[in-house]
Amino acid sequence: MAGRVGVRVLGGVFVLWAAATLTFFGLRLIPGDPAQAILGGPGSQASAEALAAVRAEYGLDQSIWVQYVQYLGRLITGDLGSSYSLRMPVAEVIGAQIGGTLLLAALSLAVAWAIALGLATWSTRGGRVAGAVASGLEIVAAAVPHFWLATVLVLVFSTTLRWLPAVSTPGPAGLVLPVVTLALPLAGFLGQVMRESVLDALASPFVVSARARGETESGVRWRHVLRHGALPGIALSGWAFGWLISGAVVVETIFARPGLGRTLLNAVQLRDVPLVIGVVLVVALGYVLMTVLTDAASRLADPRLAQPGATGRRVADPVLTPSGGSR
Amino acid sequence: MISLAGVVTASALLIALAGCAADAPVSVDSTPVAGGTLTYATGFGEPTCLDPHVGGNMPQALVGTNVLESLFSQDESGAIVPWLASGATVSEDGLTVDVALNEGISFTDGTPFDADAVVANITHMKDPNTASSTAILALGKVTSVEAVDPLTARFTLSEPDSALQESLAQTWLAMESPAGLARGMDANCEAPIGTGPFVFSEWVKQDHVTLTRNEAYNSAPAGAAHSGPAYLDTIEWRFIPDTATRFAALQSGQVDVIDEMQPDNVVAAASSDQFDVLTGALPGASIRLELNSGYAPFDDERVRKAFIASADVNPGIESLFFGTVDRSYSVLSTSTPYGASFEDDYAIDTDKANTLLDEAGWTSRDSDGTRMKDGERLVVDFPISTNQSIPAEQSLFEQIQATTKEVGFDVELHPLDLSSWYAALGSWDFDVTSAIYTKNSPDVLRILYHSDNIIPAPSGYHPNNAHVSIPELDALLTEAGETSDAAVREKDYAAAQKLLADGAYVLPLYDHLQKIGYSTTVQGLTLLPTLQIPYFGDTWVQG
Repeated sequence: MAGRVGVRVLGGVFVLWAAATLTFFGLRLIPGDPAQAILGGPGSQASAEALAAVRAEYGLDQSIWVQYVQYLGRLITGDLGSSYSLRMPVAEVIGAQIGGTLLLAALSLAVAWAIALGLATWSTRGGRVAGAVASGLEIVAAAVPHFWLATVLVLVFSTTLRWLPAVSTPGPAGLVLPVVTLALPLAGFLGQVMRESVLDALASPFVVSARARGETESGVRWRHVLRHGALPGIALSGWAFGWLISGAVVVETIFARPGLGRTLLNAVQLRDVPLVIGVVLVVALGYVLMTVLTDAASRLADPRLAQPGATGRRVADPVLTPSGGSR
Repeated sequence: MISLAGVVTASALLIALAGCAADAPVSVDSTPVAGGTLTYATGFGEPTCLDPHVGGNMPQALVGTNVLESLFSQDESGAIVPWLASGATVSEDGLTVDVALNEGISFTDGTPFDADAVVANITHMKDPNTASSTAILALGKVTSVEAVDPLTARFTLSEPDSALQESLAQTWLAMESPAGLARGMDANCEAPIGTGPFVFSEWVKQDHVTLTRNEAYNSAPAGAAHSGPAYLDTIEWRFIPDTATRFAALQSGQVDVIDEMQPDNVVAAASSDQFDVLTGALPGASIRLELNSGYAPFDDERVRKAFIASADVNPGIESLFFGTVDRSYSVLSTSTPYGASFEDDYAIDTDKANTLLDEAGWTSRDSDGTRMKDGERLVVDFPISTNQSIPAEQSLFEQIQATTKEVGFDVELHPLDLSSWYAALGSWDFDVTSAIYTKNSPDVLRILYHSDNIIPAPSGYHPNNAHVSIPELDALLTEAGETSDAAVREKDYAAAQKLLADGAYVLPLYDHLQKIGYSTTVQGLTLLPTLQIPYFGDTWVQG
């Protein structure tokens, strides 16, 4: 057990290091001078003295490898540095912006789950037509890009019907459109995998035996089928977190909602290296934590995973395909 | 049973009522109402520092103009009018300018506005540690400033500068409290202190800036509708980057005023009785294509002329901009004095274009129809700043790509973010581009087309993107920039623009328009002519 935790922690540290390194070098490969971000943004006509002073102060006159090592050194001590463009410590910027994005992501994940479960349950009861309808809805939802969906929702619910604000406001009404924009495509993905898994479970021997024991239809569904149906959804939720954060870049920009996504976009455009890396690290950390959480959730939903010697991946496969030939 | 007579009576009554409603004035009360909050949504982006001395761009000027005031303002014709200063006296040799300041004005922290404050501000702008780009460039000829007496600031120049007062009218050279400047850059960036009708009271980064009324305001610019404190209690300045969301927020009443409207939104708002649109041509250069004449293929004048003779822009402007802009044949904006139009130089003539390209040696064509010379294809690299070019403009560039293809150009459009675009321009890695340059003076021509400005600033930036290097043009622009004789200025600027048109360095497209949409409940909103920035000192909102 201790070994497993150790491997997990090491894996997490590796992910964080890789994220910081790729971002650091990636930002240097695209055109644009970080010194300009400090001196009033792109196109500034800063003097030679000012540029030299800034390069010396921020260590930008050193070789990229020296800068990289120095940067990693500071990261290890927990110092994320200071944002060039916002003139604030990166940790402070992230602290101010992370709440809104986490709330948005958590609500969207919850709404997506609710829609996906509802659709999976309804469609597997409603026969062939319902299955085809659900499948069609899921494919369309999963394929819709966020920017398009957001614009259409604004046109319908803000401009025409005037039910909801176009620009995100602090209250619950301001959250509805951003959450729906993020949740619908995700519900499409989750719904597809869950419905298949529910169908598989319904045809499996343990359901037959549960029915033979006299279990009611809802008992079969809630106690047995749902657990199986939810497993791939849980596994997908770790991935969904990263996907929601990337969606937040678009959604926060369109709905003018403060948050990490909008911060990241601005920071990349201004070549604000410390802020970009700071946000990327926080998102990577969130991704690592979500993976651990979904792993734990899978164990709760599927007690077989908790048995000694079992590892998540090996046992998950037979669960996903309990009776391949029955369909 | 309802009698027929009853129905007729009722209908008549309804028609009469409807008539009354239609005849009543649309409840526009011309008496200003004090109080209330106005919400402004900007698409220009969020400044990284609210002090416009630092850097110096449009987002800073927009939010800053109602807080930080300038020594001078301009009227609609571009003429200098008083603001914090009542006037200026220029010495015979043009090297000494005495600026007379108005009396009894204080910054909102209580510091008096006087000649010492002017000295502190100019010193701050010229200090390399301030990292100014716009103000420091505008003050290039100013060697020193001194306080002759409390109400006279003396500017000493290295060369005469006919544009000095115009420069001082820009928000980027606004006057800030010396005590505020002394707090240091970080504190001053958060909330610079001015003399204006509003005060920076809160800045929640990536969300909004709150401006609150200055109760002691007494320095309205010449031309303002009233003096004394503003009517509005507060202005909430929000950052809404997406154009569709910004317009939807205006339509749904979430915000009262928006900027950076798209052409279709302008048409929709103008045809509605709930919204109005305020437009003004930003001063400086028109929106135009700059042909990089320093490198192949546009180092050959014939190739430049062929490009201009085949780039058919008028149909695109008509179809993509819904009649919201007029075609320009001038390098200068219509709001800038001394603009000259040369419509004939920009006529479309495909035969002429083909002949010119043949003469220039681009005689063979490859399988795509692109002309070839010595094994090279006639490729035109066109980086586009997605920050500066609105979608309709990017579509117009696609049409230019299509019409120039007919005579054998292969225009490659590269949409880039602002940093990458500036990097491409800085390294001359382009053949044609469109670059905005806002400046409230015809001296913009010297900045854009004097050969000195081919040499990049230390940051890599060079304003002369067309790589124009003509000694005769340099002489004209230098003389016009130094003389205070309006007749000489007019003659020089006309000759300079003729040289640019004859050499086919630039293809003017249209004026860069400030497009402000607002709810009709907003009254008394105007644009300050200097930079076409909304002025809220006279604005009120009807309840």
